[in-house]
Order: sequence, then structure tokens, then C-alpha cells
Amino acid sequence: MEMNPIEKITYEDAMKELEGIVNRLDAGDGTLEESIILFQRGIELTKLCSDKLEEIEMKIRIITEKGEEPFVAEG
Amino acid sequence: MNDVFSVSDLNRYVGEKLAADPLLSAVRVSGEISGLKLYPSGHFYFTLKDQDSQVSCVAFRKNAQCFPFLPENGISVIITARASLYDRDGRFQLIVYQLEKEGIGDIHADFERLKRRLASEGIFDADHKKMIPLLPQRIGVVTSPKGAVISDIIRVLSRRFPNFNLLIYPASVQGLSAAAEIRNGIAWFCEKKNVDVIIIARGGGSAEDLWCFNDETLARTIYHADIPVISAVGHETDYTICDFASDLRAPTPSSAAELVMPIKMQCVDHILSSRKQLSRSLLHFVTRKKNSLLSLSSSRAFLHPRLRVESEWQRLDRLSIRINDSMTHKLSWQRNYVSLFAGRLDALSPLKVLTRGYAIATDQNTGEPITTVNNIYANQKITLRLHDGEVFCRAMSQSEEGTNNGNESY
Repeated sequence: MEMNPIEKITYEDAMKELEGIVNRLDAGDGTLEESIILFQRGIELTKLCSDKLEEIEMKIRIITEKGEEPFVAEG
Repeated sequence: MNDVFSVSDLNRYVGEKLAADPLLSAVRVSGEISGLKLYPSGHFYFTLKDQDSQVSCVAFRKNAQCFPFLPENGISVIITARASLYDRDGRFQLIVYQLEKEGIGDIHADFERLKRRLASEGIFDADHKKMIPLLPQRIGVVTSPKGAVISDIIRVLSRRFPNFNLLIYPASVQGLSAAAEIRNGIAWFCEKKNVDVIIIARGGGSAEDLWCFNDETLARTIYHADIPVISAVGHETDYTICDFASDLRAPTPSSAAELVMPIKMQCVDHILSSRKQLSRSLLHFVTRKKNSLLSLSSSRAFLHPRLRVESEWQRLDRLSIRINDSMTHKLSWQRNYVSLFAGRLDALSPLKVLTRGYAIATDQNTGEPITTVNNIYANQKITLRLHDGEVFCRAMSQSEEGTNNGNESY
């Protein structure tokens, strides 16, 4: 099984791979050892996705001549 | 024909003639606006002129309200009007009920030409369009920092995903410098690589207002951008070259915000359900393996060894019976053999001979059989063994065979 290093995976790739893992487990081929590895990989991916949801920093900024500055919308 | 008309009658008559003329009831006239006056009633008065002539025009409020733009002195327009005569002044005038900018037809033709040319170059190709990331870590927006558009985007993003990250590149979205400013914004984001997706946003407006988004260079800048671009210009019905060149067209700026950021709660739910699904699938996998093991173990393939063991047992049993049988047979044969030999031994036994009247003589002292007369000495004690007992004797005389004298006395 080829696996990308988990820290380099984007959110959508992680979700896609996760779906693939569930499908493979459901297909039921492969050995028990393989399925356990797949399962562990899947759990890692769900954790990665959860982390990615939280790691986005809440920020609204605007480019000015001085660089980035906080932005407050009018009204 | 000698009738004399009053002025009023004449003007009314000419007015009726003009009104009855099919061509003059809806005539399109091109010219330049001048002497524009707006009255408090909401009616517009102006003169439409070309190089040589002019004609008075009036636009009543109910029609003027529907004009796509406000009339201005000096602009070339095409009006749709009906001809009439203003009774009081006897002045010929046009009652305007539609107003278009002249040259708009040419602009549309230009638009279609540009669109065809860019399409033939592959600028709008679906194959070239970049995927919009599912979860952008930072969103870039090129738009006016003033007005409802940016507020709408922020409001929609906040509702969907509370911790979003937005970077605004302020740009004019209308007027001569707009196209260049928007291009600069895209180029700036692409150079800095500090966002995952760029939204070009502008609220609704007239075709003229949105004209800067039909810029050829802007289309090429979007095409060559390394970062995916969402175009959100005007209303749902407005299409610009920018829309065609971008990776995704959003009907409005608000819907761009919806397209760019997922709903966080749905993401959380999806991840949770994926996790549950994983566990279920693994459990399912293991259960299926277990079941297939069970069915395998009850199948012939796995029963076979047991069958073999059983048949080996049977073979062993059969063998042991045979061994037993043959042993018994052998033993009985041996018994017969022994009794046979015993019979023969019996026949060879001297005791058997004795029954026929023979006797065995032994020296009483030594127990040695006496086989020759030469060893006999006088008064030797001899035991004669007969078949049914013994006789104790003493040697009195002996004679050797062939001497015939009968005896030798001691």
C-alpha cells in the first residue's frame, strides 16, 4: 500500500483517501493485517481533517500601503 | 377646400395625422442630447440633434423611470418615441418612451468577438480550470472595500465557518482604472502565494458599470494565475469575459462566499461519520473473515484432514484386526507345530521304549548309564529302570557278546 506522508495531505485528499479506505474495507479483500493498517490510516486521516478545520486562524485583513491591516466592514 | 381653420383646429388636425401614422407611432431616432431639463414633476425635456437638425423631445416620468440610465447632455442616444404636435406652441415634438445608449450594439458585437477569440485560444477551456480547494486556509478577495459586497461576503463566511481567514485586495470595480487594478490584485496574490483561492467580486450594475470585467488582459491574467479564481460579478443574469475565464463563476458575491467555504458543522459531522464508518467497516471486515473461516472450517477442504484421520483410524483398526488374526493364526499354528514336535519328542523318549520291555541300566553310585559290559565290575550296584519303576540289582557275572560261554563268574 502506498501512502503519502500524512502531514503533506490536503483536506480534500484526506477525505478522498478516507472514502477509498472505507470502500476497500467494505470490499473485504486483503488480509486482516492490511485491514488493520488501513483502519489506523483512516483514523489518522480523520484526525488530520479535524485538525485542519481548527487550524484556520480567524482573521479579516486588508492590503494597504503599510501592508496588511485589520479590516472592519462598514455598516 | 375654402374652409378656414382656426389655429387650434389646424394643430389638432396635424396632431391627429401624426398620431395616426404607423411609422411615427414608434419611431427610433438617433442623436445627441442637449438642453436637458428635469422638471420637479419628473418629466425630462431635451433636444435631440445631429449635425444639421434638431427635434424637441419630452420623456414623461412614468417612462423616464424605466430608462436604463439617466439622460445627460452631450451623450449619443437612440430614442424610441411617437411623434406629436404640442398644440399650444404648434411645435412638433417626440414623446420618448425608451432610451438606449448609442453604440451599445457595437459594444455587444465587440463582446461577442472577444469572447469567440478567447474561446478559440482556449482561455475558457474546462480542462484548464483549476479545482477550488475544499477548505481554503486563506481566501483572497479583490473588490471594493466599501459597500455591501464585502460585508455580504464576510457575513456569509461567518455563518458557514466561524474561523475563516480573509485577505482583501482593495480595487476599483468600476471605471477606467478598474480592470488594471483587478489584474494587479490577482498578480499580487499569485506572486505572494498567500491565499488558496481568489474571489473577484462586484455587485450588480449596468452593462456599462460591469464593462471593466470584459477586459481581455484581465481574462489572460486569470487564465495564467496559479491560484484558482472565482468570478462573482453582478447579478445572476450578468455574464462577463471574467466569468468565462475564471475557474468558477459564482452568480453573486454572496454565492461566491458559499461556494468557497464549506459549512463547518457539516465538515465536523462528515469527519465523525467517516470515523464511525471506519470502525463499522473494520468490524464488518473482521466479522466477514470470521464467518468465512467458519464456513471454510466446515467445508470439505477443512473437513478433509479429519476424514483422513478417521479413515486412518479405520485402516489401523483393520490392520490391527488382521495382525491379531494372523498372530492368533500363527500362535495356533505354532501350537500345532509344538504338539507335533512334542509327539515326535515323545516318540523319541526312552521312556516310551521302555514300555516295549527295554530297561536302562545305570550305576547306582555314579548314575552313569551302563552301555557296555566291559565297565561292569563284581557286585556293582546297578539300577534298572523299567517303564513303570526301578529294580536295584547287583552284578553277579558278565559275558561278552560272541564268547558263548555264557558267563564269567565273579
